[in-house]
Amino acid sequence: MSHPTGVRINNDLLRPLLLTSWRFYLLVAFFGGFVVAGGIAWGSQIYYGFGIAGLKWPIYWAFYVTNFVFWIGISHAGTLISAILRLVNAGWRRPVTRCAEVITVFALMIGAMFPIIHLGRPWLAFWLFPYPSDRLIWPNFRSPLVWDFFAINTYLTGSILFLLLPMIPDFAVVRDKSTGLRRRIYRIVALGWRGTPKQWHRLESAMQIMAIAIIPVAVSVHTIVSFDFSMAPIPMWNTTIFGPYFVAGAIFSGIAGLLIAMAVLRKFLHLEDYLHPVHFENLGKLLLVMALLWGYFVFNERLVTYYGNGPAEMTVFWQTQRRSFAPLYWTMVFGNFVLPLVLMGIRRFRTITGCVIASLGVVVGMWLERFLIIVPSLGNKYLPYSFGSYSPQPAEIVVTVATFAAMALLYVLFAKFIPIISIWELKAGEHPSPVLIPPATEEHRLGELHL
Amino acid sequence: MPRWGMAADLDRCNGCGACVVACHAENNISTVGPEEAARGRAKHWLRVERYWEGDFPDVRVTFRPVLCQHCDNAPCEPVCPTYASHHTEEGLNAQVYNRCIGTRYCANACPYNARFFDFFNPSWDKPLHLQLNPDVSLRMVGVVEKCTFCVQRINGAQVQAKAEGRGVRDGEIQPACAQSCPSRALVFGDLDDPESQASRLSRSPRGSHLLEDTGSRPKVAYLARQA
Amino acid sequence: MKAVYGLYPDGLSAQDAVNRLRAAGLADRDITVISSQPMEDYEFGHMDKSTWMWWLACLGGLVGMSFGLVLSWYTATAWPMNTGGLPTFAWWPKLIIIFELTMLGAIFATVATLVVSALIPRKGQSLYDPEVSDGRILVGVENPADEAVATLETALRAPAGAQVKQTP
Repeated sequence: MSHPTGVRINNDLLRPLLLTSWRFYLLVAFFGGFVVAGGIAWGSQIYYGFGIAGLKWPIYWAFYVTNFVFWIGISHAGTLISAILRLVNAGWRRPVTRCAEVITVFALMIGAMFPIIHLGRPWLAFWLFPYPSDRLIWPNFRSPLVWDFFAINTYLTGSILFLLLPMIPDFAVVRDKSTGLRRRIYRIVALGWRGTPKQWHRLESAMQIMAIAIIPVAVSVHTIVSFDFSMAPIPMWNTTIFGPYFVAGAIFSGIAGLLIAMAVLRKFLHLEDYLHPVHFENLGKLLLVMALLWGYFVFNERLVTYYGNGPAEMTVFWQTQRRSFAPLYWTMVFGNFVLPLVLMGIRRFRTITGCVIASLGVVVGMWLERFLIIVPSLGNKYLPYSFGSYSPQPAEIVVTVATFAAMALLYVLFAKFIPIISIWELKAGEHPSPVLIPPATEEHRLGELHL
Repeated sequence: MPRWGMAADLDRCNGCGACVVACHAENNISTVGPEEAARGRAKHWLRVERYWEGDFPDVRVTFRPVLCQHCDNAPCEPVCPTYASHHTEEGLNAQVYNRCIGTRYCANACPYNARFFDFFNPSWDKPLHLQLNPDVSLRMVGVVEKCTFCVQRINGAQVQAKAEGRGVRDGEIQPACAQSCPSRALVFGDLDDPESQASRLSRSPRGSHLLEDTGSRPKVAYLARQA
Repeated sequence: MKAVYGLYPDGLSAQDAVNRLRAAGLADRDITVISSQPMEDYEFGHMDKSTWMWWLACLGGLVGMSFGLVLSWYTATAWPMNTGGLPTFAWWPKLIIIFELTMLGAIFATVATLVVSALIPRKGQSLYDPEVSDGRILVGVENPADEAVATLETALRAPAGAQVKQTP
């Protein structure tokens, strides 16, 4: 006689790992094709010269840096949300945390590729690493790009560990439930996990410390990404609001990304029993809050600029409000504010479908937001003689599409090899309420400390 | 220690463009061809900005040669992660091509758009490839380049003066643009020497600096038009 | 490895088994409990709870902080470069580097503590049964004294739903 819920959870959540259908290979081939195309685009950009991209004087940052900020923003889905939910011990977090943390790790990996892709000489990217070299020169710690390097590396390291630690007990379950080569591999990655109270306590303490450490790191990462812009004396860039504005936007787009991923997982992995409408509803409310916060920041940014009425700022301002960038700008306002406000504000629309539609609007809107921060300012910088316009070229478009495919591919592969919902956390959330906790007698307690 | 600067008399500039050509020739700036130039890949370390004032038919055209302003508080310098862009002791805003990894952050941070990215390896239409300057290094694809105030000429003059046991005389150093200017609109010199011509012109009541309100403290003074 | 252990269907019977082993004169450190989820609701789930991990994380943070300070200070002053007229060593930008390395140090210290203290297997502690993955709770004694085995078996067999096994 064993715990029925436990067995059922095992079966449902291990099914994608143990059974593979042809659809899996089709998906991998489909997304893999795009990723290969992106690799070819980047390779030809290195081979033929950066000129095959659409960048030009004076718009030296465009699609690649937009993608960089966008993906770093998406990465705030996970670790930040799951860390906060863990710290406040929200019970409904249990099926959600791992989906979210996976988004973080993969989005960060993709986002961190872009500073390298956009480099003029990407083969020298390691010069950002502080090591004693024969050039006798160290990185410039006054450069926001070096801050980026440190912040993103810290966040990536932390997020990977934050994702890996709670996976160890699940690896142990897979080890027990599989055979052959698979069993041998999972035995290694389970790191000798048994499940003694000591191991559980250490794991939970570690997760708590990591959650506390990762939240300020996540906030710092997107603040520092915003410093890439706000540290330069460029109209509409040089503003103190960028730090919190970017952090709010990052969490906003992160929640949207998480909602889309959850809906897809629920549908294709048949996780209807685990990802309930209430999860979507709760995250939808969070999306609504962030949409309002985003609107608040945009209002602040726009009103202060408008009232200040500086000639350089107003040139960029009108470019986005009324002139060539206006269609993109108002699409962004619709996707980021109007759509989520209507769909998430009215309870009847706060369904799974409603959440997905609103999230798609937010993802598009947040991508446009970053584009509209970068390009109009660079294209309308002070001296009218040097104004310019930008249109993307195939290389940039293919690389951009490839990153979305890469995200999907990594997600598919992850769900194939690792339970996408944390098995032990789910079990811990489902076991019956305590009936009796016999008091511990003093002589049975160990007085000494164990590490 | 000198502090190099320039004065540009807008009354004298007639927009002929000789400085632009001279700059290209002196500094081995590759010509990118008409299509690439139309796509915004031309690299004019010095450009003559042309503005129209007034409404038709009462229109007046004005010119302003814009080059790297060699700012004292250059926004392009602190943003560089590898110190490719930094300040020399003589106040020049230097760019070390070998250290540049091509983040283009400096070019974005420059309020004057005076920095240029190499989108391709350099090439020249024949017979321009026969006139390259041996004193100036070529730039490979993926680095940022900009006006150096013809640092090769500054160094050459300083070495010559030292060999002759004297200081550098005012007017001895002429960047290619100043040398080729037919109307003597551009004057280069040591701003720390109160007697130098560039220094005197910079202190002129007609003088102002471009985009001074960004706080970059540029070292090129523009003398306003009176005529 | 020699061991005697029982598998229990729920926390209640496991708690019973643990209490009986204690009554048989065993100290907590000699009792092995293994479960597929944290058993916070039961007393036996609270064994071995005290840890220095928090302090070690702080220590790791301190190490990271000092490293960040030394790194940014040394590299800036080893070859002072004038950029944009800014001071060679400025606290505001360095604080960012110092902060990130502090957090990195704390994270590394936490994970290192977890691996060293809980994941590296100790000698003579390898008792396991794959049935734990199905929700069973294992309570047992590793390397019991030969004369005690019979007593332990009786104690383990007493709670409801017990399934007692021995490894030679």
